[in-house]
Amino acid sequence: MLDVRSIAKRFGSIVALDGVDLRVARGQMVGFLGPNGAGKTTTMRAILGLLALDGGAITWDGAPIGAAVRSRIGYMPAERGMYPSMKAREHVVYVAELAGLTARAASAAADRWLARVGLADRGDSKVQDLSSGNQQRVQLALALVHDPELLVLDEPFSGLDPVAVDVLEEVLLERVEAGAALLFSSHQLDLVEDLTRDVVIVDHGRVVLSGNVDDLRAGSRVRYVDATFTATPDAAWQPVGEVIERTDRHIRLRTDASADGRTLLDQLADAAPLASFSFSPPELSEVFRNVVGGATASAGARTGSTG
Amino acid sequence: MTGRPARDRASSKIWLVARREVRSRLRSRAMKISTAIFVIVILLIGIVNRAISDSSTPRTRVVTVGAVPSGFADAVQQAGASIGRTITWEEPLADRSAADAALRDGKVDVVVDGDAHQMLFTTAVNETNAAVVGAAWRAASAAQAARQLGLTPAQIESIVSPPPLSATTVETRPDNDVGRLVGTLSAILLFLSLNTFGAMVLTGVVEEKTSAVVEILLAQVKAHVLLAGKVLGIGIVAMIQFALLVIAGVVSLKISGTSVPSEVWVALPSTLGWFLGGFAFYSTLFALAGSFVSRQEDAQASAAPISLMFTGGYIVVFVVAANPGSTLPTVLSILPPFAPLLMPLRIATGVATAWQVALAAVLLVTAVDVVIRVAGAIYARSLLHRGSRITWSQALRRGEPA
Repeated sequence: MLDVRSIAKRFGSIVALDGVDLRVARGQMVGFLGPNGAGKTTTMRAILGLLALDGGAITWDGAPIGAAVRSRIGYMPAERGMYPSMKAREHVVYVAELAGLTARAASAAADRWLARVGLADRGDSKVQDLSSGNQQRVQLALALVHDPELLVLDEPFSGLDPVAVDVLEEVLLERVEAGAALLFSSHQLDLVEDLTRDVVIVDHGRVVLSGNVDDLRAGSRVRYVDATFTATPDAAWQPVGEVIERTDRHIRLRTDASADGRTLLDQLADAAPLASFSFSPPELSEVFRNVVGGATASAGARTGSTG
Repeated sequence: MTGRPARDRASSKIWLVARREVRSRLRSRAMKISTAIFVIVILLIGIVNRAISDSSTPRTRVVTVGAVPSGFADAVQQAGASIGRTITWEEPLADRSAADAALRDGKVDVVVDGDAHQMLFTTAVNETNAAVVGAAWRAASAAQAARQLGLTPAQIESIVSPPPLSATTVETRPDNDVGRLVGTLSAILLFLSLNTFGAMVLTGVVEEKTSAVVEILLAQVKAHVLLAGKVLGIGIVAMIQFALLVIAGVVSLKISGTSVPSEVWVALPSTLGWFLGGFAFYSTLFALAGSFVSRQEDAQASAAPISLMFTGGYIVVFVVAANPGSTLPTVLSILPPFAPLLMPLRIATGVATAWQVALAAVLLVTAVDVVIRVAGAIYARSLLHRGSRITWSQALRRGEPA
């Protein structure tokens, strides 16, 4: 279990992390969300021990993260980086050996992972001769080649084509099923929701929301009603609630979370025969915008932040 | 999980980093070409030297006309050999006109006309040849006269070839030229090597930063391991090139027919030692300078103080070569930044005392240790720093271990 407890970091006068808390259990996937500069990358770097914290603690299975633990972490930095003139396979072998694998094990693992990311036949190409999408795939192999127990991936989906996204999702699910803990950041909320129900949202170096996506959505103060009619309702008819969108046979309303769905359904059914009806909490993206926008408004006193 | 033996010791990771460095450098085309050019130039120098010495070996062709003293031929060759001149003795000619023709055609250098008691040259009298041939004539004539007087061969020998005087000096000179040459050459070689491989360390570190690969590496190994591996790896490459150049140099001397001066074999191990110390000292600083910048364009500016320091030391080499015993070079040669360049020269010229060498060595080893420790502490932070260049004073101010 990865346990990040109220970590703090300042860069000069800039507060980058202001007490971030998060936990990722083995076999769990946590999506790490937040606007640019919220502290996602800084948190991930801190987990890898790449920067000295001003406060707080990070542990894996209860122990501070030292060299032995680090060699069991798979890391994909936000800023992708490889030796441009090194051959892809050689590069993967090198990183595997640095992580502590024997030459033989590293070589076998490199072959396995290059095949897994679809680059079995490009192992002898120099990194700089690969397309940027293929470089991303090599980067993924670098993060996974030593069978890490903890995966810390900063924006793993950015720059990937849909096929590569599928491969990545598949690989990550497989690793987590095998018992790995995964923390990944992303701007693509739909991809996050595809993979996991557990998210942590940070802004200005603080966790503003965390938990199960369904709970977070349910916790919102608004609900949306979507209704499709089989006939156009009478022009004089006025729905209850705030109209977001209205066409001849479709209407979208926003109501308070305390509204009763049954009552709403009855009111709409009175207007015209219904083809479909839904009463649901907002999407994750709206929850995200609400908390991040709110936090930004209440944090005017701060000087700013960096990634 | 799979295949995870205990290979987590820092030393084995240093070796992994060094091995990658050695492999990629040795594979680089630029490295192969530059080394090949060096080796070819060194070998060519030997071949050219051989050609020049073949064509310029003093050689005198002597021919006689008429009656000459018996033993004259031997006498001429002995006299020639005593001053390092090869005399070839041609078949005697029938008459003076044939001799004149041979001279004009350039077939011979000197004609000795025994009957006319003359030495003939083409256009100008060659004084050396005249002295050699003249001395041989006197010796052979004296020997012939002595034989006619009935003296024994031993008596003749004592008259014609008395024990020679040997030349020597009453005072030995304080410095020796071969030592000075060898010392200066090793300083030049050290300077060029430190320059080449220091720059390699510098650009290598900046490459790791600009390509951002450093973050992946730092997730697996400590910054000081990365630093040590890089310096070690490029140091090994430098040694390989150094060894190739020394071998080429020895082969080149063999080709040119010159024997390798014993000073070279004396100087080689100590030069190597000073080179290793100097390389560790300077390349660690170069690595640090590289970690301060995020763009290759800024690398030279960041490394300027280091370049200045050791170019300064290099210039002092020539001051030392001119006057190895004076105070300034003596003091500088003990200080770590300059010792690698100056000490080999002062050792080779025989002016460095044992305590000076020992003190310089201890100071250099200590300085290398301090530089590596301080650099290791700064390196971790500066490697991950992006954006504007960190200055040396900023780095040292915040240089407490992270």
